[in-house]
Amino acid sequence: MGPGDVGKSSILDAIDLCLGARRNAQFTDADFNNLDVEQPISITITIGELDDSLKSMETYGNYLRGCNVEAQTIEDEPEKNCETVLTIRLTVAGDLEPVWTLVSERAAAQSQSRNLNWSDRVRLSPTRIGALTDYNLAWRRGSVLNKLSEERADTSAALVKAAREARSAFGDQADSQLGETLSIVATTAQELGIPVGDKLKAMLDVHAASFSGGTVSLHGETGIPLKSLGLGSTRLLIAGLQRKAAKEATIILVDELEHGLEPHRIIRLIGSLGAKEKSPPLQAFLTTHSPVAVRELNGDQLFVVRQSEGTHSATVLGTEDEIQGTIRSFPDAFLAKSVIICEGASEVGFLRGLDNADVAKGEPSLTALGVALVDAGGCDHIYKRANAFYRLNYRVCVFRDDDKQPDPATEKAFTDQGNSLFKWRAGRALEDELFLSLTDEAVVKLLLRAVELHGEELIEAHIDSESGGKLKLADCKSDLTTEKREILAKAARRKKNSWFKTVGWMEGVAEDIVAPDRDADEGFWGIVEPVYDWINES
Amino acid sequence: MTGINLLEVKRGTVTAPAGCGKTHLIADAIIREKPSKPILVLTHTNAGVAALRGRLEKAGVPTNAYRLSTIDGWAMRLISTFPKRSDADPKILKLENPKTDYPNIRVAAARMLKAGHGLDVIASTYSRLFVDEYQDCNIPQHAIVYYMAPAFPTCVLGDPMQAIFDFQGKLADWDEHVCKHFPLAGELSTPWRWKNAGEEGFGQWLLDVRKELLAGNTIDLSKVHANVSWINTSGKDAHERRLAACRTKAPNENGSVLIIGESTSPQAQRQFASQTPGATAVESVDLRDLVSFARTLDLKSTKALDQVVDFAEDVMTNVGGTGLLKRVETLKTERNRKPASDLEGAAIRFSENPTFAGVRELLGAMGEQAGVRSHRPGILRGCIRALQMAEAQGGPSFQEAAVTVREQSRALGRPLPRRAVGSTLLLKGLEADVSVILNAADLNRRNLYVAMTRGSRRLVICSGSNVLKPS
Repeated sequence: MGPGDVGKSSILDAIDLCLGARRNAQFTDADFNNLDVEQPISITITIGELDDSLKSMETYGNYLRGCNVEAQTIEDEPEKNCETVLTIRLTVAGDLEPVWTLVSERAAAQSQSRNLNWSDRVRLSPTRIGALTDYNLAWRRGSVLNKLSEERADTSAALVKAAREARSAFGDQADSQLGETLSIVATTAQELGIPVGDKLKAMLDVHAASFSGGTVSLHGETGIPLKSLGLGSTRLLIAGLQRKAAKEATIILVDELEHGLEPHRIIRLIGSLGAKEKSPPLQAFLTTHSPVAVRELNGDQLFVVRQSEGTHSATVLGTEDEIQGTIRSFPDAFLAKSVIICEGASEVGFLRGLDNADVAKGEPSLTALGVALVDAGGCDHIYKRANAFYRLNYRVCVFRDDDKQPDPATEKAFTDQGNSLFKWRAGRALEDELFLSLTDEAVVKLLLRAVELHGEELIEAHIDSESGGKLKLADCKSDLTTEKREILAKAARRKKNSWFKTVGWMEGVAEDIVAPDRDADEGFWGIVEPVYDWINES
Repeated sequence: MTGINLLEVKRGTVTAPAGCGKTHLIADAIIREKPSKPILVLTHTNAGVAALRGRLEKAGVPTNAYRLSTIDGWAMRLISTFPKRSDADPKILKLENPKTDYPNIRVAAARMLKAGHGLDVIASTYSRLFVDEYQDCNIPQHAIVYYMAPAFPTCVLGDPMQAIFDFQGKLADWDEHVCKHFPLAGELSTPWRWKNAGEEGFGQWLLDVRKELLAGNTIDLSKVHANVSWINTSGKDAHERRLAACRTKAPNENGSVLIIGESTSPQAQRQFASQTPGATAVESVDLRDLVSFARTLDLKSTKALDQVVDFAEDVMTNVGGTGLLKRVETLKTERNRKPASDLEGAAIRFSENPTFAGVRELLGAMGEQAGVRSHRPGILRGCIRALQMAEAQGGPSFQEAAVTVREQSRALGRPLPRRAVGSTLLLKGLEADVSVILNAADLNRRNLYVAMTRGSRRLVICSGSNVLKPS
């Protein structure tokens, strides 16, 4: 996963070009980096878990290498503690001719060079589920149907027979329809003394009635070709078949796996590829922009693709609890470019509400700018989440209350790396800021909203309790002194039954009450606006 | 059959006395396994490889079901495939100094396998390992097999009583090393070669003799099997008696006879070959006399003719070389009364215009003389072929051609003549109908056993005493 144009599909293309069983592939100058044809294109893939025939000393002895899985290094020769692997490289130089070779320093030293056997290339060839999936629903060369079993339909005899029958069924029909032409040809031939017999006939051409082999394709019970199925169904079916053919072909490439699939079918597709099995039957390279897909997968199955300074890298998310938890609850965050780590649900709701108001004014939304909001679930978790995203090269900032502070050293380490931190004024929580910063009018609206949400009785009780019985709800609707505002803020953010502490409640408050309140305290807007500057920099 | 199924042996040794169907056992196992991967079959020498390949082909074993190599050839293969893991000087693979290179190759291969490198690759490539003629393995070769064995089922086959290559370096001890590392899985006990010839009793007697020899006992030649005869060579007519023994007729039509002389004296073997009608000498695989003739022959020398004549005398009987050289002198000074014969003509032409074609013509003319026959056709034929290569325009030098011929014949193996003279070392693994031992008293117990088991129908033993006390 990764933002658009970061090179996800190119990675699938590269795998396909390097491992696919092709005799040739079309390249143009435009395929070269910066159009520099002097620098050859080179795609190098190392494959492990070799079966016996790929590990045969007689066939590939000089090309077998050792992969130290722990150290992530590849040595030129197999070693006892290394996995024996083969490295395949596709090189395209200025002549645009693709050349596939096995990589081996020792073979190169002896001026030897070879590629995989054709049969091994066919076995390794990845199945690609792309735009043109019809291919795989017929028994064509390299289609997944042919990988399911050794069975082959013998069509030639039947087709020849059908052709003959067509010819005889058509019979002399053409004679009557083409009578005039026939008689002209016959006369001319006679005049020129060309022996064509007494009577010329118009018959169906045998060749015209022949069929090429391999045109056997899948049809439903009613005889409708399966390739007429919906896009999603076709892709789902082929992925499922690929799973069955896994013994023969273990690599599958799916671009935009969610393409044409509802969420439940995305889940089924991922399941059918074996993503949840202990020992995965397939190696699947999938690209996705779907939070549903992200949530279905494990942290060690998810890779973020990044581009920086002309280099593309894919980093695994990892399986730490922080990541794993975020994958489950905020999968869309991993699909964004920038992430705002909010201390709690109310901060998420607050930013969303302000965003809604902006969108209503015709400004681009948070999501349009590639920004995702993540609920850290409390002050103690803020930097665990923030650093997890930071390590994966996401643009991250933190948005938090200040009634309780996280470990200052951790926070300093975070901001020292150039990351932004947005927090309310010293000691204040969001509710403090709202009740202390907004205009009287807006504060009254807050009270009304609270009553609307929770009923007068509860709000009255909260105010009563926080003011030590001095204040009533009615007193708070006018003459809003700082003292009253402070009591209201405390009442609003009580641990139990706090007035606005859900995403939805705070979203409503921010959209309906805060956003229009442009006359609120400058210090308040002085904190909120930089957050929006940060968002707009995305 | 013998009740031993090699495919059931995960790791073991099969003791196989001579002629008890060892090759058949291997062939049968390869045919029955029908593996998706070939079986690796190793043996000791190139001649052994050639002989085994011939027998497997004859038994109808599909060639893709097995890979056959010498242990040393296999070691070289490993080192060249995994140079870093074997950590060997790549120069040793060129075999420029065979005396040190071969031992270094074995050590390097064993070292690599001991460290466990490449075992997974070997296991993926071959389904199992058979090693034939295991008694001839020296200790480094045994180490190679031992350290490779964890990769796949391994069965070694051999006969400690046929271990006669011990002069080449310390052999792996059958009990101490072989059977300890590869537990004894069984011993073949049916003398198939004799049974197939309708002489099972004789074969059984030889198995009994093997037991006596193994136990260190003597053999009383006055109480032998009916198919065995003793020629007493204690008298002055010993040489004549031996020559008579050499002429022993095979009891069957077109039967073959192997005559076993002294290992230490190839010259004596050749003498018997030249003095026995129809006998030819078995040459060592290095075709030393051919290569040395090719190296020393100098066409520019005035002695070129003498060199060719000396060579001819060495490989043919009744050449009359001295007479020929004299006649050439006479003819050249035109003191001749008798015109030159074809042979003399060829000799004169050669002395005037020495060429490789001329050497060939001369040798051919000598061979056509009445009463002349080659008792060393292996050398003579090889020489003719090397000369043909050398005389071609842009062809190799005579010496290079001789080396090529040697390597070809090494790989092809030697065709066995009907009556062959050799030593136990040269004749080991070869079979005939009759075996004649010219100096039984000189042979140690293992050489004696090898010599006695070459013939499937008759055995003639020349000895000065009626009791053999082999060392």
